[in-house]
Order: sequence, then C-alpha cells, then structure tokens
Amino acid sequence: MIKVEHLTKRFAATTAVDDISFDVQPNEVIGFLGPNGAGKSTTLKILTGFYSATSGKVEVDGNDVFRRPEAVKRSIGYLPESVPLYPEMRVHEYLGYRAALKRVPRSDRKKAVDLSIERCHLGEVRKRIIGQLSKGYRQRVGLADALVGNPRILILDEPTIGLDPNQIRQIRELIKELGQERTIILSSHILPEVEAVCSRVLIINEGKIVGQGRPEELRAGIVAGSASVTVEVRDPEGTARAVLEKVAGVRSVQDPEDRGDGLIRFAVTADTDIGVRERIFDAAVASGFKLLGLSSKTLSLEDVFVEITTGDDCEEVDGSREDEEEAQ
Amino acid sequence: MNIFAQMRREFAAFFYSPIAYVLMAAATVLNGIVFLLVVDFLSDPRAPHGAAMQMFFGGTIFFWIVAMMVTPLITMRALSEEKSSGTLETLLTAPISDLQVVLAKYAAAVVFYIVLWAPTAAYPITLSFYSKIDMGPVLAGYLGTISVGMMFLALGMFFSSLTKNQIISALLSFAAVVVLFILGIFEFISAGGSSDSILGYMNLWTHMEDFGRGIVDTRHLVYYGSVVAFALFCTVQAVQSRRWRG
Repeated sequence: MIKVEHLTKRFAATTAVDDISFDVQPNEVIGFLGPNGAGKSTTLKILTGFYSATSGKVEVDGNDVFRRPEAVKRSIGYLPESVPLYPEMRVHEYLGYRAALKRVPRSDRKKAVDLSIERCHLGEVRKRIIGQLSKGYRQRVGLADALVGNPRILILDEPTIGLDPNQIRQIRELIKELGQERTIILSSHILPEVEAVCSRVLIINEGKIVGQGRPEELRAGIVAGSASVTVEVRDPEGTARAVLEKVAGVRSVQDPEDRGDGLIRFAVTADTDIGVRERIFDAAVASGFKLLGLSSKTLSLEDVFVEITTGDDCEEVDGSREDEEEAQ
Repeated sequence: MNIFAQMRREFAAFFYSPIAYVLMAAATVLNGIVFLLVVDFLSDPRAPHGAAMQMFFGGTIFFWIVAMMVTPLITMRALSEEKSSGTLETLLTAPISDLQVVLAKYAAAVVFYIVLWAPTAAYPITLSFYSKIDMGPVLAGYLGTISVGMMFLALGMFFSSLTKNQIISALLSFAAVVVLFILGIFEFISAGGSSDSILGYMNLWTHMEDFGRGIVDTRHLVYYGSVVAFALFCTVQAVQSRRWRG
C-alpha cells in the first residue's frame, strides 16, 4: 500500500532521513519508534507530501507522492505533531470545513462530521470554540480532522503526546479500533504505546532504520542466547551460589542480595530461559536448599530500544526515560 | 469544488478577528470625511467645475491613503498566520494544491476589499437625489479602485508568504505599495525623455484620474494584471519553497 524506497532528506547541514526503505501492507498498524530528532516527523511529512525528499521514492497505492500529490493526499488523513488548528473556529465548523476541503460531497458532509465527532468523543464540545478547549480535546479534534472523510491511510505523528493517562488509553483504544479497517502509521517515542497498538515496529535512529519487526520478534531477537533469571533461596549453609554455578547452562551468578532471615536473591545469566529454570529447580531439590522464587525477566521493548539506539547496555537512557515521564 | 470551501473559510476568518471591523469602520469614516470635503469644496460657487465622484476617486491624496493603508492590513495574515501557527501543514496536506490555496486566499482578500468600499456606493446614490449623475465615470472609478486594489493585494499576498510575522508582512507590503505609487509620481518631476513614458505607464495617480473621468484605458488594466499575475506566481513559489529549502 505504501512503498518507500531509498528515501533521503537533507536540510542545509544535517541529514534528517538517511536512505530509508520500507513497505506498509493494507490494514497494518506501523509504529515509528525513535528518540526525539531521529527523523520520524520528517519522514511522515514527506509521506504526506508536505516536504519533498532530497532523493528516493514514495508511492501510495501506486501513486508517486511527488508527481501526483493530490491523488495521494486524498487517501491520507494526517495529524501533525503540533496539532495545528484554527483556534477561533468552533469544533463542528472546523470539521465541516475540513470535510469540504477533503472533497466529501456536500450531502455526506454532516454525516461525516458527526461520525468523526462520535468516534473521538467530542459530542459535548462540538459547539465550543477550539481555542478554549483543553489540550486533550484539541488533540482529539486533530484526530477527528484526520478521520473525517474516512481516509484509508492515517498518519499520526505522536498522537498521544500531552495527554493524561486516561486520555492516552482512550486514544490507543481508538487507534486499535481504527486499525482494523485502515492502514495506520504512527510515530512515538513512548514504547509501551507502540507495543500496545502496533503490529509492526520500525525503530529509527539518526535518520536510519536500525531495527524492524513485530514487537515480540524484536524482543526475541535481543533475548535469544541470553536469559536473565532471578533466583531466591533460603540458604542457611551458604552453598547455594556454588550449586547454581554448576547448573548446566548457567553463565554467571551475580549480585547476591541478602534479604535477611537467610533469604538470598541471585541474578543468574543463562543461555536459555525455561530449560535453565527447570535445572535450577532440580539442583535445589537435590542439594537440599529451599527455593522460594524463580523467575525470568522478560525484556521489554524499551530494553530493545535502548540496546539498539544507544548500542550500550543501560544507563544512557535518561533522555528517553525523561521524555516518557513527561509525555505520560 | 474545495477551492470555494477554502475561500469561504478565508473570508469568514477576517471576521473572527477584530481587524475586519476596525478596518471597515476606519475606511467608512475616512471615506465619509473625504466625500464631505469634496462636496463642500465643489459647492462653493467659485469652485472649478467637476463631478464629486470624479474628485473622490482621482482628485485627492485621501483615496490613496485609504487604498495603501488598507490593503497590507487585509493581506498581512493570509499566509503568515498559517505559517506561525503551523496550520499551513494541515492545509497543504489536504487534497488542495498550493496554487488553489493561494488563489482562494487572494480571492477572499479581494472580496473583503470590495466590501470595504461598498458603503461608498451610498455617495453617488445620495448625489443623484440632488443632481443628475453620469454613472459611467462612477462605474469606471470603481473599476479603477478595485483593479488598483487587486494589484496591491497581490503584492501583499507575496510578502505574507515570506514571513511568519504579520507585522513584518504588513510593513513590507506597505513599503512595496508606496514604492510603486511614488515611482509613478516621479513622472511629474522627471526631465522627460524615455523614462517619462515608462513612469507614465506606471503612474497610478494619473490612472485614477482617468478612471474618475470615465476613461477605461486597457493599458492600465494590463499593467495591474501583469503585476497581479507575477506577484501571485511568486507567492506560489514561496509557498512551495518549503519543499526544497533546507
């Protein structure tokens, strides 16, 4: 449905998007994930025809965005990152105007606006002036605008930024619902969001795609060949560590943490996850100490993201963590 | 056609801000004073012969003050506001071309400019109660007013496309309009020769005197039309420059 080939966008001194290629299938919900300034918004602006590319090709339904922008724009509903609206207009006026601009026939216009208002739960503010609405409502007006006229493709740039947790949940539900019959590309630097709504993720860093796949796959790719298991034992004799180290598949046992009352917690790194846990259990039974906890830590997409975008194990995540807190 | 939807929104947008009302009030008061002065002057028995509307359009500097002050204020927000608030992005990613957007905005500005002058239609009507009015020159005067205004508005559109700042946009347009006007005025002080005919071609002051007398010279209209076309072409280029500029 959407085909991007070797897309590059240079601004005077910087390369915002650097030779990106990807395909989007119909009814796919794709997440663009990346730290701030990674080139997500620029890519989306090129897809919508607002910017042109320095080089490369973008096709939507076989139409070239640069050669036939109007055919492409017709099938796209776009929510820019800053949610620009006309503050002096009323919600229903604005959506009516946008519907007309998007060539919804006059006879269908009211219905299209009503549907959009209903979908985004804007019923109680439909006659209010946009400038007086809260950030959450304005975000939804922007989304309603993207939806009006029922485009087959939605491009949403940071759709939940600046919303409170309840609103974020509502918008995510809406996106999921919409994604069943539409192609959606959304960008975000919030990982749980992408994980929650997207069927496929593209991780972008410094203008390049540095990872892609289904959220589970991405996680599995990093997890493969290394599992992290937490073992909690009652070990009055102090033999547990030696026993654990001898279990087949265990690479190392670190950080014994004394929890008091003879309780000790170890962090075990192993080759596999489930097999190792079984053997640890057997080893514990055989050597007579009591096993109180045995769990493996599942890597979140966040870990994957940090791994990929920093090339560093941890600690350097401050930037993205802060953003996440801000946004939520 | 969605270009009409855009035009309607642009025209309505004038009335969302107080600018429209201030402009309409100011133009009406100013024109009223000018008309009063003209009628008062002509009612003196020693005054030269002349039709009041002819003098209203082409005979005083006041006409130019109104036309040159009002047009930059009409067009200053046209593209600047969209640029500064970011709405240009939603506008230009809708299925409407850059050219259509510029034309819709320009058309709305022209319609609003005509609305500003509409109250002056009361003057010839009032006069017709007291004397016989020759409607030909009056209509020509309006044609001149509107076509000169269209030229100024096109220049204003261009400067509005260059900046996010409405005040800078208005100042640049005002400067451009004044320069255009003064250039023509130089005809009066030039020593003659070939520059004379060029300046004469651009002399808006004598153009309006012609229109006021009922002379519709197509050379004037061609001149305005060329400036309009060129200014709007440049405006579209400026809007499109977002695509290739770094």
